[in-house]
This record gives sequence, structure tokens and C-alpha cells, in this order.
Amino acid sequence: MAVSGLARLATSAPAAIYPVVGKDGLAAVEDLSLHPAVSLQPTPRHASVLLVSGEIRRGDHPALRRLHDQLPHPRATLWWRTTPAPGFPQAENVEGDVARAVELVWRQLMTGERRSEDNLLPDEPPAAWRGKGDHGQGGEGMMGGKPYGRPMAMTDEDQRDGLALDAYTACFGPFLSVLPPGLLLELTLQGDVVQSAKVLRAPFAQAVADEPLRRVARLLRPLGLAGAAERFQRTAAAQTGDLKILDRALRWSGALHAIPPGLGEIAGEDIRASLRRWWEQAQGIASPASLGDGRLVDLLPGLEWSEAILVANSFEYDRLLRLCPPDREDDGDQEDCS
Amino acid sequence: MSAAVPIIVLFYVLGVGAWLAAALDRAALKLMAGRPLAAATMAEPWRQGDLHLVRQRIWTERPDAMNWLLAPALYLILAAVGMSVVPFAPGFVVADLDAGIVLWGACEALTVVVVFLHGWSANAPLPLIGAYRYVAIGLSAMLLSMFVLIAAALPAESLAVSAIVESQASVWNVVRQPPGLLLFLMLGLSLTLRGPFDYADASDLAGGTSAEDSGPARAAWQAARLAMLVSVSAMTSAVFLGGYHGPWLPGPVWMLVKMAGVLAALVGATHMLARLPPARMLTLLWTVLLPLAFLVLALVGAEVLLWK
Repeated sequence: MAVSGLARLATSAPAAIYPVVGKDGLAAVEDLSLHPAVSLQPTPRHASVLLVSGEIRRGDHPALRRLHDQLPHPRATLWWRTTPAPGFPQAENVEGDVARAVELVWRQLMTGERRSEDNLLPDEPPAAWRGKGDHGQGGEGMMGGKPYGRPMAMTDEDQRDGLALDAYTACFGPFLSVLPPGLLLELTLQGDVVQSAKVLRAPFAQAVADEPLRRVARLLRPLGLAGAAERFQRTAAAQTGDLKILDRALRWSGALHAIPPGLGEIAGEDIRASLRRWWEQAQGIASPASLGDGRLVDLLPGLEWSEAILVANSFEYDRLLRLCPPDREDDGDQEDCS
Repeated sequence: MSAAVPIIVLFYVLGVGAWLAAALDRAALKLMAGRPLAAATMAEPWRQGDLHLVRQRIWTERPDAMNWLLAPALYLILAAVGMSVVPFAPGFVVADLDAGIVLWGACEALTVVVVFLHGWSANAPLPLIGAYRYVAIGLSAMLLSMFVLIAAALPAESLAVSAIVESQASVWNVVRQPPGLLLFLMLGLSLTLRGPFDYADASDLAGGTSAEDSGPARAAWQAARLAMLVSVSAMTSAVFLGGYHGPWLPGPVWMLVKMAGVLAALVGATHMLARLPPARMLTLLWTVLLPLAFLVLALVGAEVLLWK
């Protein structure tokens, strides 16, 4: 009785969605996030509905399966603007009003009318315990090796302050909410400082998601300004709104000053200047600039995590695609990271 | 009066205050986002908390299970212990310690440990980065607090919070040392992982130390954060805003009104101010805010000496 009472109350909360954005799916997801009945979550652990929006690469299917299993029960998967890929047996295709479909699935999940989706992968480590080394981690002495398939951190030279801390290499993406959709990076970190970076897969192209106001919103989010970002997004979606309120939100928040000068600079324009230019473009007092290109991976080493995330979100999508040539040929099938 | 009454009141204020803080938080987000505000916003914290309770708690691969379970409980205990030295009326306090401010300082320092444990125990990269970052910023923020609180204690010539409140019967500390209040509010944001001082559970880390929390564990951590916010607002009201002193209204009502005001200010700052990258924040802390805190302490010290 108590449980069903809890479930009924939970049903009245907005549907917690983790969006997996594919090719040309970003603008639609951003617009959906403005609907009062849904709430986009930054991590799959906080969500109950996995919403795949737009076509995703075959090579990203293993990552998507792992992501699926990270959602807590009860959970469901919806495929929108694309057809379900093989290997997702309980997935459902959405045609028409996606917000309504999400609400329905949400209600069914919370009330128990819909069965929670099973795991797609066995619940076991990606590699067996190797039983070598002092602690069975597979390395020499207490260092190195890959316990359960995870590379163990090793001390390494520090680029910044000379402290030889442990360097840790891991893959981030392709569906990490703080990175552009599709971008798969292999980062070596010491603490929160990026030592080296590789692009394993490029971000997805987004043909209709690049108005200046949307770009401003994407930069405000990692600065902790979710409310202001939503207001910018809402104005972009409606193509009308009070620009004076946006101007106040941008200036009073200190967003421009929070971004370090010189961060992410290519061809003489840093992130601060990009943000200013986009805002001026949105107001009609600046025109799009044609800027030179470089490589994203050259910008990241030496940056702290938060700076690296700002850099990754600071480019127009067509330019970002040019900045992210994969560091090796993508055969579409190869598993990149575990 | 039974000694149990202040304890019951403390937990009651923590609970109601946490709900009010959560509702204010939702309202502030909606205001900033340009969404319509409705009376139903007040019920949203219940729905949200309830939603966490019906979902599965997920354990990551090889977590530090004990610390993962303990972290929210310890955070909540620190919030309650910190608030236990704050009087709501003359003599109405759970623990009227001679060194109440020192106990509060210990709770601040242990908060850094608890938040680190929360990030550490999930055994995942993003929570761990959040944990490390929080320690780096948290330690400097705690130093701020030490200077500011000593400056607040100087006019009272006592480390007891009740004596500090009594010393503000004629002039509140916010008038004597306005930068002290601002600096303490910054510390409050840091202790509660909010807005410009949220380096642990930040949006750029997809939730940071909370990124792997789900189900009841998420509800517990969020509730503990809100309880600490209430505790910070109580301490701020007592140390800088005269506590229960004020005209016309009874002392406890003044205290609650001031706490609600501080809550609103902290929630507003959460949604209105951008977060600096950690290195930039550390520079700001060490080169501007800490010298300012020391200057406040020196000026208050000089004032107390000359007044004598």
C-alpha cells in the first residue's frame, strides 16, 4: 500500500530522461527539454527513460548497451527519429508526439504496468581477474596491470607543478552529457588535469542545432547556469523573447569573467570572445565569422577538467567536426573502450 | 524545560527548512529559466524525493560500500551537530558550549572529509574528480571561515555562539563587518556544494560525486545537502544578523525569518552566479578573499582595542 502510494506520487514528477543524441538529433532533444513534463538528467543513474534521438553509428552500439544497463530499474528505452538498432530487444519506436510517449512510458514504469527492461550485458567485469602481481592486479609489484580489465593508474611526470601524481587513462563519451554528442575522447588525467587527449570518434553532425543562442546556452550549462541556459534555449526555440532579460542574465552571472582569458584560443579568438560574438550575433550586431581551424586535442593538454569541458563546448558544430579528426581510422565495428 | 525540547525543535527546523530550501531552489530555477511559477512548486520536493525512493539503488563495480552508505549519514549528522550550538532564543539551545564556534569549525572541516568520501567510494572517475576538486577548494574556503568567525567572536570576547548573539543586541555584526557576512555566505555555498562554489557535484562533471548515486542513496545525499544549507543559514543568522534579536516579533520568529532570508539569498546565488574554473577560484581565494578576510579581522581587532 505504502509502495503504491509512493509510486503514485512519483508519477506526478517530470519524466527523468537520459538523452542519447545521434546525428541531427540535438535540437529536437533541446526543444523537448523545455517541456514541463520531462526532465533531462546529466547521468543515466538519475534517469528512468533512455531516449535515443537521431541515428547513431554502429560502432557506438556497445557503448549504448553499457549505458542502457547503467539506468536503475524501473527503466525503458525509446527510439525517436531513428529506428531501434539490433540488439535492443525491448526498445520501442516513437512516432508523433514524443513528450506524450515519454509521459505514457513513465507512468507505466512508475505504476508497474510496464516491465522494467532487463540488462543487455552480463553483470560482470570486462576482463577476468588475472591473479598476477602482489595484489592479483596483473602488474609488477603493487603497480601497473589491468585489474578486471581496468588499467591501473601509474605515476607520471606532471606538466604543471612537478608533482608526479598518478596518471589515469580512460575514455569519455560518446554519450557523456557534458561533451558534444558522439564525441569519444581518450584522456589521460592527473587529478583533474588533462595530460594528453585523443579523439577516438568525432561528434555527430548537427544540421539544425547551431543558432547562436543555443551555442550560448551550451556554454552556460557547464558554468553552473542551468536556469539561464534554459532561458536562452527557450528563446532560440520560440525564435522570440526579451533579449534584455537574456543580456542581464549573461552579464550579472559573471559568465564572461568566469571563463579564463585565452582559453581555447584558435586564430585569435578565445572562448570569451566566441561567447561575446555569439551573443552579438543573436542580437543582430555581429555577423558569423570564418575562423581558422586547428585540432581539439592540441587545445586540451594542460587544462583542468572544467576548462576542457568549456573548450569542447565552445565551437560551432561544423567547425567542431573539422577540429575533431579521429586519431585513427574508424572501422565502425571496433570496440573502443570498456 | 526538558533538554529534549531544543533537540526536537532542531530536527523539526532542519526538516522543514530542508523542504523550504528545496522548494525555493525549484522556484529559483524556474524564475531563471523563464518558466511559469505555480503553487505546486512547493510540492515538487516531495515528488522528487519520492521518485528517488521508488528507484533501484545501483552499486558500481568494486565500490567502497561502507563509506558510500556512511557519507550522507555523516553529512546529515554534521549539519545537525553544527546547528546544535545555535540558540533560537535566550537559553534555548541544544549545546551552549563555551567554544561553540570551534565545534562549528570542526563540522566545516569534516564536511570536506565526508564529501571526499562520497566521491571516492563510488570507484568511478567523475565522482573522484569531484572529490579531489572539492578538497582543493574546500580547504581554502575553510580558512576564510576561520578568519571571519574569529572576527565575529572578537566583539563578544567569547567563542560561544550564544555570547556572540548577545553581543549583537545593539549592533549586528553585519553592520560592524559587512564583508564578513559575504565571505561567510561564500563558505556556505561551498559547504552545501552550491552554485559558484559547487566543485563536488557540479554540472561540468555530470553530477560529480553524485554522478553514480541512484535511488534512496540519491535522496539521502540531496537531503543531507539541504540540511547543511539550513544549518549554514542558522549559523549565519546567529553570527552576523543578530540571531533572535529584533523589534516587535518574538525572538524565535526573528531567528526563523532571518534563516529564511539567508536561505533565499544562498539559493538565489546558486542559480544566478557562474562558477569559475577551480584554478581561477583558487587564485581569487588566495589573492583577494583571504586577504580581505584577514583585513576584516585586523580592523575588528583594532576597533575592539580602541573601544576598550
